[in-house]
Amino acid sequence: MSQQNTSPLSLTELCLATNLPSEILIEIIEEGIIEPIGNNPNEWQFSIHTITIVQKATRLHHDLDINWPGIALSISLLEELEQLRTENHMLKKRLQRFSAINDD
Amino acid sequence: MEFKDYYHILGVTPEVDKKELKTAYRKLARKYHPDVSNHSNAEEKFKEASEAYEVLKDPEKRAEYDALRKYGSRGDNFTPPPDWEPAGAHGGGHHSQSSEEFSEFFSNIFGDGFRNSGSRSQFNSGQNFQQRGRDVEMDMAIFLEETLAETSKPISYHLNGEDKTLRVKIPAGITDGEKIRLKNQGEAGHGNAPNGDLYLRIKLVPHPIFDVEYQNLIITVPLAPWEAALGTKIKIPTLQGKIQLTVPPNSQSGQRLRIRGRGLKSKKGQGDLYAVFNVIMPKTMPDSTTQHWKKLAEEIDFDPRAEWSTSS
Repeated sequence: MSQQNTSPLSLTELCLATNLPSEILIEIIEEGIIEPIGNNPNEWQFSIHTITIVQKATRLHHDLDINWPGIALSISLLEELEQLRTENHMLKKRLQRFSAINDD
Repeated sequence: MEFKDYYHILGVTPEVDKKELKTAYRKLARKYHPDVSNHSNAEEKFKEASEAYEVLKDPEKRAEYDALRKYGSRGDNFTPPPDWEPAGAHGGGHHSQSSEEFSEFFSNIFGDGFRNSGSRSQFNSGQNFQQRGRDVEMDMAIFLEETLAETSKPISYHLNGEDKTLRVKIPAGITDGEKIRLKNQGEAGHGNAPNGDLYLRIKLVPHPIFDVEYQNLIITVPLAPWEAALGTKIKIPTLQGKIQLTVPPNSQSGQRLRIRGRGLKSKKGQGDLYAVFNVIMPKTMPDSTTQHWKKLAEEIDFDPRAEWSTSS
């Protein structure tokens, strides 16, 4: 069995996993793009999912030259879009199942 | 090697000025950015546009490119002039994550030394040249049945020139799109830097019978009209074997019955199974059956479209 981590990460571990210095992560946190659990930076914990968000945020920052507040907005809109797409997909599938029997 | 017309890729003329160039690139970048776009070949298109902009935004590279373009843009099979020396070939430099997948065409012309500009590694530029290995992301197909309890599954992949097999622990209640992180199982690091990580993106395999709705499952239950009318007891499949379901009399198409605790596991708790009725007619009917329906039609005073008459 390989090293497999599902437990939360500290700020240092998040820096390592995302290849970013803590100053940038703190900027991202201050914009509310990611949310740590815990009161001060020494106690901060981040879920594994945070890594994905940070990676997406830095890609958008670099590739599209969006500033952090813009990224905060983009990411929440993208999440909403993703949710709507998933929901739409589920509903379409169910509708299909329902009408397939009657249609042919 | 195919000649890449960077102007064409960005949809601009060779006379384009810096400002228009930027606008053209930004438009394409927003349209095809893999984090934003739903296009099937978004990533490819985005890389192409980035590569084109990387060259054309830089006056020095653009001048070199323009010279080459005059030399060889017409043939299908492009080779740089024999005395061509890639401009960045002597530059050294650490490699970047976003531009290293630029085309063969790009690296033949500009070499590898140019590749460090404007990359994600800008964040490291103050540090030494140790570079953590690249993260790798892969899909992992999981059957619904496998999400009910913690399981372990092998995954085989090819990386750093070798075939690898890992056993991966799949926690109960894993959801579609969730990622499992395997530390240091990504690409090898440079110098003494650690390896990248491996991320497995979970893809739930669509089930032939059950649909997933968050932590709940849905099963469509076809019923004969008389079953819907009289009610019945039927056996229905669940992920954990068959159970008996009581269909109440006068059931309607679209009506849902909740079967507690037979859905998926999730962090929000145990999901339920919903049975949705779908009343269907037999495709053909013998005369005797038709007689029954005729009798019903005469005896029952029922207007299914009563709502229409009150509103019009």
